[in-house]
Amino acid sequence: MLKKTAINKATELAAALMEKGTLIAPVKEDAGFNFREISDAKQVDLNFHNTIISPKSAFFPQTEDFVRYQTGKSILEATPVELNIKPAFLFGVRPCDVKSFEIMDIHFSGTGLVDPYWQKRREATTVFGYAFDLDKPAEAEEFYQTLGIGAADPEGSDIFMVKKDNDLLMKAITPRGEKLLTGLNIPSEASADDEKYFDDTVAAGRNFKTRSTCVDARATAKKFEDLFHNTDFWEKMSHACLSCGACTFVCPTCYCFDICDETLFSRGTRRRVWDACMFTDFTLEASGHNPRTKVYQRLRQKVCHKYSYHVRKYGVISCVGCGRCTRYCPVNIDIFSIVEEAVKA
Amino acid sequence: MSSNNPYIPMPVEISKIIDEVDTHDIKTFRFTFLNKEDGENFKYLPGQFAELSIYGKGESPIGIASSPTEPGYVEFTVQRAGTILPGLVTAALHDMDEGGKIGLRGPLGHSWPVEFLEKKNIVVVGGGFAFTTLRSLINYMLHQDNRSRFGDITVIYGARTPGLLLYKDELAGWGKRDDIKTVITVDKGDETWKGRQGFVPAVCKEVAPSPNNTVAVICGPPVMIKFTLPVFFELGFSKENILTSLEMRMKCGIGKCGRCNVGYKYVCSDGPVFSLAQLEELPRDFW
Amino acid sequence: MAISFKQIEDKLKTEAKGLLETGKVSLVLAYGKGYDEKHPMPYVARRPSDADNIVFNEFCTHNMARYMVRYPAGTKMAVAVKAADSRAVIQLIQEEKVKREDLVLLGIPAYGMKNPKTGETIDSKTTCGLYNPVLYDVLLGEEVHGQPVVSPYDVLAQYEAMDKEARFAFWKKELDKCIRCYACRKACPMCYCDPCFIDQNKPKWGEKSPESAGNLMYHLTRFHHLAGRCIDCGECSRACPVNIPLYLFHKKVAKDCEDMFGQAAGMSVEDKPVLVNFRVDDSDKILE
Repeated sequence: MLKKTAINKATELAAALMEKGTLIAPVKEDAGFNFREISDAKQVDLNFHNTIISPKSAFFPQTEDFVRYQTGKSILEATPVELNIKPAFLFGVRPCDVKSFEIMDIHFSGTGLVDPYWQKRREATTVFGYAFDLDKPAEAEEFYQTLGIGAADPEGSDIFMVKKDNDLLMKAITPRGEKLLTGLNIPSEASADDEKYFDDTVAAGRNFKTRSTCVDARATAKKFEDLFHNTDFWEKMSHACLSCGACTFVCPTCYCFDICDETLFSRGTRRRVWDACMFTDFTLEASGHNPRTKVYQRLRQKVCHKYSYHVRKYGVISCVGCGRCTRYCPVNIDIFSIVEEAVKA
Repeated sequence: MSSNNPYIPMPVEISKIIDEVDTHDIKTFRFTFLNKEDGENFKYLPGQFAELSIYGKGESPIGIASSPTEPGYVEFTVQRAGTILPGLVTAALHDMDEGGKIGLRGPLGHSWPVEFLEKKNIVVVGGGFAFTTLRSLINYMLHQDNRSRFGDITVIYGARTPGLLLYKDELAGWGKRDDIKTVITVDKGDETWKGRQGFVPAVCKEVAPSPNNTVAVICGPPVMIKFTLPVFFELGFSKENILTSLEMRMKCGIGKCGRCNVGYKYVCSDGPVFSLAQLEELPRDFW
Repeated sequence: MAISFKQIEDKLKTEAKGLLETGKVSLVLAYGKGYDEKHPMPYVARRPSDADNIVFNEFCTHNMARYMVRYPAGTKMAVAVKAADSRAVIQLIQEEKVKREDLVLLGIPAYGMKNPKTGETIDSKTTCGLYNPVLYDVLLGEEVHGQPVVSPYDVLAQYEAMDKEARFAFWKKELDKCIRCYACRKACPMCYCDPCFIDQNKPKWGEKSPESAGNLMYHLTRFHHLAGRCIDCGECSRACPVNIPLYLFHKKVAKDCEDMFGQAAGMSVEDKPVLVNFRVDDSDKILE
């Protein structure tokens, strides 16, 4: 099913979705765009390229409360925080970010013990993918094409949206999307012309040029394994690295977290909070032992995790080429360049 | 851990505390489960660990020191940790008395591969305070229902001083049995010490059994492991028959939080037990 | 007269090559190629041949003094320094983190530097607004004269017009944006504490979650740790992925310090760090 609505009617669409559940959509803030839970339909702003923070926070928020407790009281009085999850709509996600959800699914709910928080949020959420604007060139930082992701890939979305002049074409991709789209009375039926435009855009998206280099997941993983002990290489790559967490916090596929007990005047919450392998104390043990004291060891961990360890463990590269880490790196470190250097080395 | 959420601990009560060493900073805590079904569901094997959980302080991953052949409780030997990052959990636990209640998540990780060890001779090598899961393994193998499943058992255990040896009563008991050979060594003895002196790797060279059908199970501080693994390799043990347990900073214990990886393996969920053959396949990112 | 970035780049290469060839220094902290021309990166040249990789253009905004403390004490190094960067070096000398005799300072006079993320020209609004390095051994270009001299504190006018409540509301709103990536402290040449107070767990000064209380604790404490020490390079604000105007607070504290004690940070190697140095005639205003 393909439906159509004028982009300037997106507010009405947003309002309709808000009646059915929680709406999470791009909002313009002073530093740029971010996905936020919408309280006023007018906040939704589709006039964006991509957000600062990736939409992973819809399923894996920076803080997630596990248990409330009081210090000095018995553990028996501590109460787990119930996850009251309403149906949610994640609106306007770029195809590379949609791909990141599938990569994170493997880790959080597809292997070993299931992470109940990720899984429940994922199950409750309908994803509205949104094609990049193919009339504009890709930004210098982006390289999703390298990883086989098109600029208008509908796979992974429940409903996929393509902008056509002043209209938004919306196509149901999954049965869940189909059901939702059928029930929404705002968008109008699309024409055969629109159908063709949608299909053409998806096809053009596959050939849309970002920076790209030939990356075979298995070969790259092996290359990084071979490079692990090449300290010279890693020191060169990490000259500039400040060892801050900007890259990991904006990344759609970084999932490292800490579990913290945060107490204020005897009342506390055990919660998980995003953490970063780039932080000095990430692997610092209580004994004082720290296997990664140097910047190059930490940058190596980050890059190898995405391009080698994850491939070996889960079969996929844990990067979608969205370019956020490069865009927000204070010293312009570019993971794509590191991969290129590694392939050449 | 709670049945539907692996991040929520089960409540347990301290039923016994044993002061293990003369420096009083290592104690063995015996816990009983406050919910009967938690205890029934807590099925573990030697070598596994659990997260000890104290709200307001945090969680600390500790190897299980009791043997599954001792039903009704579970024991952990805990050192008051922390020089750089003060160990809040271990300090709080040390300050607790019998009857105190804490949380427990586990059992976590893979055990010593007991089925693989069957019908083989076993040399257990331990150093210092990391002897805990080895004690679990030894008591498991020595249990009357299990002893016949294993061949000769040799234990080589070292501590810095005589006063720092753990489980002194049990060591004495093993010394009197004829179905286990026990070799105790200290780095430096005192005026009353009549036993061996010397570092674990050197003692191993001297007293290790023949590599024939024998598996070495090694656990200790990183520096001991580092120097002991090659000793057994040189003695002719195959890399598959040299086993050890790794330590990395952990948080979740279930392979989700991304903290304890060595290469593509998470120490918590893929380990902590690895053979030397497996270790050599991993990048040197742990010592 | 416009700055010739190309000329500075050439001189930087020549000096770096010479210093490394003669063994006068074991490394040169300068700038290298990034993923495109607009995004050069901090670079360390260790061999004479590395000097060919050095670049300099209007986007080379990073403060290379930040990297000095990463190397063992006594390492002989050359550092490319623009005006504020040289002040960071001076301040680090005052704080005995580096020694003057271990350093060769390659001074870069410049104006019209541009923020690579936004393309905006960097001026006295977000930095100290000086054009010439305060301390150097070699100047890689001609001193800048004739550019407008603007007080780095002019930008504070609007902020200072706010009353106490308005200021608190302003900072609460700004700091609520913080995601605690710590890019600000990591980009700061003066943030060398190990461990940083916010990473300590006993006592625990602030929580890890990006919520108001912890964010205020982290930033307000950091602001005050930098009192009398911030040399106003503006790197913290440029590093911030969510555009928190950290420079405003640093400037305000720097201005107050200067008013009270008559000394700006990092202006002379003879100075002592202003809040460490007790003088009988010091202003008591700080106690008011």
